[in-house]
Amino acid sequence: MTKVNYGTIFKNGIFGENPVFRLALSLCPAVAVTSGVKNGFLMGVAVVFVMTMVNATVSLIRNFIHPKVRIPSYMFIIATWVTVTDLVMSAYSRQVYKEMGLYIMLIVAFAIVLSRAEVFASKNKFWPSVADGFAMGLGFLLALVLIGIFREFLGKGSLWGHAILDSKPLLIMILPTGGFFAMGLLMGMLNWIDRKFFGGTGSSGGAH
Amino acid sequence: MKEILRITISLVVIFIAAGVIMGMVYKTTSPVKFQAEKKEKEEALKEMAPEATEPITKAGDWSNHGKNYEYFRATSSGKAIAYIASTAGKGYSSYIKMLISLDTDMRVKGIKILGHGETPGLGDQIEEAPFLDQFKGKTFTQIILIKGETKENIQAISGATISSRAVTNGVRDGVQLLAEKYGSGVKPAVSEVRK
Repeated sequence: MTKVNYGTIFKNGIFGENPVFRLALSLCPAVAVTSGVKNGFLMGVAVVFVMTMVNATVSLIRNFIHPKVRIPSYMFIIATWVTVTDLVMSAYSRQVYKEMGLYIMLIVAFAIVLSRAEVFASKNKFWPSVADGFAMGLGFLLALVLIGIFREFLGKGSLWGHAILDSKPLLIMILPTGGFFAMGLLMGMLNWIDRKFFGGTGSSGGAH
Repeated sequence: MKEILRITISLVVIFIAAGVIMGMVYKTTSPVKFQAEKKEKEEALKEMAPEATEPITKAGDWSNHGKNYEYFRATSSGKAIAYIASTAGKGYSSYIKMLISLDTDMRVKGIKILGHGETPGLGDQIEEAPFLDQFKGKTFTQIILIKGETKENIQAISGATISSRAVTNGVRDGVQLLAEKYGSGVKPAVSEVRK
């Protein structure tokens, strides 16, 4: 096996295969929680943790999982880690749990977590899988924060809960409809930048 | 036949391992969580009636939406100064649990949202001061949700009408209960504008 290039893994996770803007995975949660920067950020942190742990676990037992039942196995591993995260947080960090408790359980259904387990962790060794989970989570976090900035500023005239403008320029932006607008516009802009300056082909694919 | 056996074993082992891990984590975290919740509840109660000198005592149980809630009596040198009830309202995607406290005139002293699962960014604005402060000093007949500007009643949060209504209904239920139990003569008109 060739030497693993961790730089490439990180670049892929954050730019080349950014979960939201390039792979277009997990758009439901990306719309649901990005009405504010803070919500997006907290959700991102939880996703980084869960993705790292799931990729690590799947990679460790990848030879034990029977290929015919790999999806149920992955789902169970994901559900286990999400539940563990939820339980530990609810007991030991009540303050953070009050902010994030709403989102933790949602992570079970994230397409991006399952897809990285299937695409990467099931075929790679332990440390590259951990790096991939972390990088993908980070890419997701950055995407959520970016959409969050866009929506919170336009929808509420504030950032991270601090008011910047006196008015609410576009209330629709914090409603789910506005989430799709924001995501579409940002995705289009990033594709344009990619084509114009890096000679890329833009994003493809799509799932919820 | 051999393959199906291997599939079964693979799944069963993973499921049992996951079950054991979750069970162990639950066993270690649940007492800690229970203690933390109990302490938070005491602190929340204290916050609802900070001027009470004696510990706030439970006065009874009541039920709303088929769930059980409690009500409390806060006293200062033997005299009642505030009545507190835990209550809830059915919101957009969850029950919004809260504590309300009334002064002896049956006016709302304060509201504290204990927990909810409303939409982040929209419904969760019910926790913020601009909305909750509207209830202060209001009596039962004034606690009515209005869409649009109002000083006399409660103004709904735009984009979160259902969550606002849930809080308003929860407060109304709590006020009604406390007024029935403690309000001397100032019984509110029970049946109006409930639904």
